[in-house]
Amino acid sequence: MKFRTFAAFVGPSVFMMVVFIALPLISVFVQSFQVTQPVIERIEVETCSAGFLEQTCTTRVTTRPLLDENGQPQTTTEWVGLESYANLLQLDRVRNAIAAGVPERILQIDFWQALRFTLTFTLLTLPLVVGLGLAIALAVNNAARSIRGQVIFVSLLPFIITPVIGALSIRWLFYGDGIVTSWLEALMGTDISVAANGWAIEALMMFYRVWHVAPFAFVIFYAGLQTVNQDTLESAIIDGANRWERLKFVIVPHLMPLIVFIALIHLMDAYRAFEEVVGFSSQAQRITLQWLTYDLLQPDDAGNRSISRASASAMLTMIGIVIILLPPLRRTWRDHKGVS
Amino acid sequence: MATSRALRQPASLRIGSAAFLTFWCLLAAFPLFWILVMSFKSPVDAFDASALAVIFGPRTIAEGKGLSVIDIAVGLVFLYFAVRLAFTRLPGLVWALTPPELAVLGWLIGCLAYAAVFVVLLFGVLPPVLGIIDSVAGPLGQPVLGMTTEHYRAVWVENGFYRNFINSMIVTGGVVTISLTVGTLAGYGLARSGSNLAFWLLIAALIFRALPHSVLVAGYLPVFINSAEILRPILGDAAPTLYGQPLAVIMVLVAINQPFTIWMLRSFFQSIPMELDEAARVDGCTHFQAFRRVIMPVMWPGVITTGLFSFLLGYNDFLVTSLLLDSQNQTMVPAIAGYFNRETTTTDQVEAIAAAVSITAPLFLLVMVFQRQIVSGLTAGAVKG
Amino acid sequence: MRTTFALAATAILAGSAAQADCAIENEVEVKILAAAFEAWKAVTDAMAECGNVQAELDQQFRVKQPSAFAANPALYQVGGVSNGTITPLLNEGTIRPLDDLVEKYGQHLKPNQLIRIDGNIMAVAMMVNTFELAYRSDLFEEHGIEVPTDYDALIAAAEKLQGAEGIDYPLGAMTKSGWDLALDFVNLFQSSGKPLVNDDSTPNVNNETGIATLELMKTLSGFMDPEYLVSDSTYVQQQMQQSKIAMANMWASRAGAVDDETESQVVGKVETAMSPIAPFGDRPVATIWWDGIVIAKNIPDDEAEAAFRVAMEGMDTEMVQANNDAAVWLIDGYQPGRLAQGAIATATHDPAPLSYPSTVEMGLMHTALGNEVSAYLTGSRSAERTLEAVEQSYLTAAREAGVLN
Repeated sequence: MKFRTFAAFVGPSVFMMVVFIALPLISVFVQSFQVTQPVIERIEVETCSAGFLEQTCTTRVTTRPLLDENGQPQTTTEWVGLESYANLLQLDRVRNAIAAGVPERILQIDFWQALRFTLTFTLLTLPLVVGLGLAIALAVNNAARSIRGQVIFVSLLPFIITPVIGALSIRWLFYGDGIVTSWLEALMGTDISVAANGWAIEALMMFYRVWHVAPFAFVIFYAGLQTVNQDTLESAIIDGANRWERLKFVIVPHLMPLIVFIALIHLMDAYRAFEEVVGFSSQAQRITLQWLTYDLLQPDDAGNRSISRASASAMLTMIGIVIILLPPLRRTWRDHKGVS
Repeated sequence: MATSRALRQPASLRIGSAAFLTFWCLLAAFPLFWILVMSFKSPVDAFDASALAVIFGPRTIAEGKGLSVIDIAVGLVFLYFAVRLAFTRLPGLVWALTPPELAVLGWLIGCLAYAAVFVVLLFGVLPPVLGIIDSVAGPLGQPVLGMTTEHYRAVWVENGFYRNFINSMIVTGGVVTISLTVGTLAGYGLARSGSNLAFWLLIAALIFRALPHSVLVAGYLPVFINSAEILRPILGDAAPTLYGQPLAVIMVLVAINQPFTIWMLRSFFQSIPMELDEAARVDGCTHFQAFRRVIMPVMWPGVITTGLFSFLLGYNDFLVTSLLLDSQNQTMVPAIAGYFNRETTTTDQVEAIAAAVSITAPLFLLVMVFQRQIVSGLTAGAVKG
Repeated sequence: MRTTFALAATAILAGSAAQADCAIENEVEVKILAAAFEAWKAVTDAMAECGNVQAELDQQFRVKQPSAFAANPALYQVGGVSNGTITPLLNEGTIRPLDDLVEKYGQHLKPNQLIRIDGNIMAVAMMVNTFELAYRSDLFEEHGIEVPTDYDALIAAAEKLQGAEGIDYPLGAMTKSGWDLALDFVNLFQSSGKPLVNDDSTPNVNNETGIATLELMKTLSGFMDPEYLVSDSTYVQQQMQQSKIAMANMWASRAGAVDDETESQVVGKVETAMSPIAPFGDRPVATIWWDGIVIAKNIPDDEAEAAFRVAMEGMDTEMVQANNDAAVWLIDGYQPGRLAQGAIATATHDPAPLSYPSTVEMGLMHTALGNEVSAYLTGSRSAERTLEAVEQSYLTAAREAGVLN
């Protein structure tokens, strides 16, 4: 295919990605090395605020930005190098914690806490998603044809449902006096407070993620199972391979590219997990990297947001994702070289 | 496919496999079934700690909203036939009445018409008829199961949720159409080019997909709000304010979804033999003609499958739509999230659940209709990538 | 707030006469952006009766409002703000002084409603919101407990009610990690009358009052549902309605829900009283908030005039009469209900609780508290080190925002 034809085909798609993803990405990259501040003045201001019956007026020194002749706040933008990254990583506190012999203090720093949880979350759910997806696919493939359609339909439900609603539907079962918690309490005869324990929330968040994503893995694997070469299977049987060996030496290798695909998608999505924190209100106990970025970007009542630190956090998330993706990407590269 | 003796399974394996599948189906469906139950109860019942109280809804009955044994029996029979009809007669009717080119449109109209008839029968015709029967049936006519549809009425009628529904349809429809148009072109180009540029484009797309969306979205807002001012030097007075425009949101969602779309479509195209385009090219077609006349017709399973994923993304999105749309153009998911802000009551929450169930219904239909295509589509293409 | 049946009926009656209520016929398109809660719904509905009014009650309004008002022309003419969220609009100069408009169309407003900054009227308040102690009067009577006026008495009452028949936990509180938890800290701390941020923008939390506040929070948490770190105001309201808790210091705007017959199992059993005083302070544990309207600067004067007139129509006596219990209104015609008594006692106590400070620094401090305090409550950090972390986190953010060097 000539370059011009190629360009015509991919042009629109590349254009959209450049405008809506690459350019914002570059600006995030640049902002992570900059700090933009308003030029402020300190003046004494009398503020009269409403009370129930009468006003209270107070005079206080307050800071407010200077406005230029157009009425816009004046700002200065400074290159600060890696300062925003340093503010986020707080390496001096990390060093102190190690020097003091209490490394768990590192986890009290937001970024490290988020990184710890995000990595655990991503790496623990990965085998569960692949394993559960594969198990369902094999079981469905094994089921009578007449019920397959219904089973596939039910299995796909957790995947298609709007994530926030899915998370809430599970939250209601467990939080407060949710019915599952009530059952567990009746079973064990003790009071259980799921949302009071970090580990319980962590487990619940992972459960939700596996519940939500395993159907996707299942449907991909199930489709893959339909193309397993029956001849190879038959000859494996003739060679005396038992069921387990057939699974291990014929089916799994056949599905390997799909397993890589699922792993790739799952690693990416789980690493930027976000809905779980919102859906399960886990901020006090567990946060993820994307939630940290989001939180830094949310303005407070006074309209402040930490754009520089959020940009730095986003860049660090990106770097983390690229590192995690390297092994599967190397494989794709080898395939690409093999094809072309 | 005749199963050979050696492939036949021992009973233990079959039972184990069936048990596992049953367990999974319960696990998959239970949370959703539960919110469905909650959505029909009075707020006090819906959040009760006892499962039986949630199911039977004593306080809902006390408010005079309940179903008798007769109601339940008639309702179940009605539902059974409704579902059977949806699975058997509806597809047949749609195929028979629509020309193949307009199949998608046919399905859409078919489903909407079916849903309308269903709603009218279930909520319009059945209740008065059953009310009369109950009043003469004695003990069988006594309510035993608390059930109220008032939350649905509050959501759809009083809060005007249908407007959000229409907005969602506009946004989702736009996302699917544009995403597929742009994506099939790119996917085809990438599949047929072995150049390193193609590879690096794919890798770049992959990294784009990995970006945390919250960063991107927060960056759009000031630009979108001030777009009239920014674009004025180029477009003059016609420069639009992009904030609140469904089209702008569609573009953002399409762009965010492009990486996945092109990866998926590329692997579909790779599964179509090169010989097919070469034959067309020998017949004098340009690349584009070959793409349109020869490749696209055999690509439908792949396009439908990919389209479904685009649909899910557009339909379920919260981060982009909540920030970039104003309330006139608000879609359903942010509208539901609005029920859960700091100032909600228990009634609001049950209404939110009713809304949540409502927005899940179209997804149900979609999967019911396209389920076979998804599996066959994935079998045909993506799984080989 | 859901209105009860009786109120709903009056609302319908008022609604049918409503068309005649709007004294002006509005020709100019007016758009409003406000937070999404019931009082704003009431006001914007009343404004809409004048025609050509589009109200947007958006839960993302904090993100949208500053940029939407900074655009030229502004995307909205009217903004709904509180004393917290007015800060960015004020600082960036995107709202206009209202003195001339008030002179022309707002003669009926009480002086208390006119929010003056540096002598200029910048906003018109419609309601105040603060905290009150909602308690189960039936349980208090049964156990012979006096209504507590300070936290020592409150803790003693909680001890008596621990394990009492009919409730799960004696105490409820809005302590959801983040914004709510930070506000809880601010309320307790400011009971001392001291500010959280000094005049020179340095933090003032890492001191004895801070430690005492944290320790009090921990003591109180012992009487609460162990899941208190996910407990927001809706959760507290539900716990109260379902008779799971016996008392809670809650938003005045939320207390009315306990008398909602469709949701509550404790109708008529809850009374409200002044929010108690902390042992280290002399003011009720509360901050005073107001909500009101502002008008954008970047719009033509005639639009601003129309917008202001429409807003005045929305904030009139008829609206208050139809929605009396939706808020503690500042507007003429408001009759405080039974469940608003506590709020009024809180607000009129002498010395009065401080207003929530509308400053850039307070926003930063609020965020820092919201992120760091929960680590102390979960036991992973001591009080001293938590306050150090709050201070650190505040200083980092303040330097980034340019208010400190």
